[in-house]
Amino acid sequence: MKLFSRGCESDQAAYLSRADRLGPWERIALEAHAASCAECADALRNSRSVDAALRGAFAPLRAQRTMIAPGRVRLAVGPPSAAPTNPWLRAPRLFGRLMEASLMVAVTLFAVGTSLDLSTRPSQSLTPTHSVVQQYFRAQPPAGDIDYLRWLRLVKADASSTVSEPTIFPGGRF
Amino acid sequence: MKLDARRDPSAGDARTDHDLVYAARDGDTMAFDALFYRYRDGIFRLGLAITKDPSAAEEIVVDTFARAHRALARLEPDASLRPWLYRVAVNLSYNRRPRKGVVLSSLDDAVDEALANEDGSPSHVAEQAELRRLVLAAVDELGPKHRLVVVLHYLNGLNLTEIAQVVDCPVGTVKSRLHYALRRLRTHLAAHPELGIEPRRPLIATGLRAPKPIPAPVPLEGGE
Repeated sequence: MKLFSRGCESDQAAYLSRADRLGPWERIALEAHAASCAECADALRNSRSVDAALRGAFAPLRAQRTMIAPGRVRLAVGPPSAAPTNPWLRAPRLFGRLMEASLMVAVTLFAVGTSLDLSTRPSQSLTPTHSVVQQYFRAQPPAGDIDYLRWLRLVKADASSTVSEPTIFPGGRF
Repeated sequence: MKLDARRDPSAGDARTDHDLVYAARDGDTMAFDALFYRYRDGIFRLGLAITKDPSAAEEIVVDTFARAHRALARLEPDASLRPWLYRVAVNLSYNRRPRKGVVLSSLDDAVDEALANEDGSPSHVAEQAELRRLVLAAVDELGPKHRLVVVLHYLNGLNLTEIAQVVDCPVGTVKSRLHYALRRLRTHLAAHPELGIEPRRPLIATGLRAPKPIPAPVPLEGGE
């Protein structure tokens, strides 16, 4: 719904009569319409004045020129690249780059992995490393004499040892 | 090919843009130079009108042709390369528009430089310069879309179809923008009687088209 009258619909055609390059028949039709429509006649008359003012105002600018040489464009573009354009010729280089990258990743993973291993070692020490059977066999004295004495000294020196006091059997070999 | 090598690109090349693009694609630098000389002034003026900075306008010329050089393999100009080049130049120009607070020489200064070489009595030259300054100031007051259409048509001489290709919108939109711009300019310039432009009159004053009276509702037959 139109609340306001927008005037004659040929108003735009009247304003653009110069810019739109109307054909002879269109121009005749527009002028015939303007003869009976004061609004379009007014637009047609004044659009010519505006058009002339604009053309006059831009005329000195249209004469402006620049002295830039195409060499500046070549400088901006840069030298033509000597790289081969065939992608298959670039495959060895690409393969080498991939090898470098994978080696770097492997070294990094190794470094990170070893550092993680060191950090988890204390936590492993908290868990019992010896089974009950191992503890039992460790607690048994060796059969050899020298080994026995050595074992006895070690057992005594170990403060954290849970091994019971070795018993020297009476009436033994000593 | 010796003739080609001796040809001066700035003197003009009879080949079409299509032929020059294909020749430049095959490595003919003279063909690319011919394209450059063909369009550099128009792009310079366009950049100058938008940025109002001659050095920026020169950079826009260089950047536009640098892009064209990189895009040579993709360019398929049907008839003229001008719309493509101007579209790139418009985008580059709007990216380089002066920021707020930066004072640059306006179009008026460029006009003054051009008028310095004009013949005629000093008073006539001064009067013409003043009128041009008025018109360009009115153009500067338009919004960017409307100003661009005016500049492309009146400064660069593009027709409405070419402008539509440059600004990437339908021809009807270009017509609408130019119509709006011309009406606004008429309103602005009517304040200066020396330009011979009449102010717009309200519709009632023209004695035309009084608003249609709302018709009374027609009673329906057989009602009640």
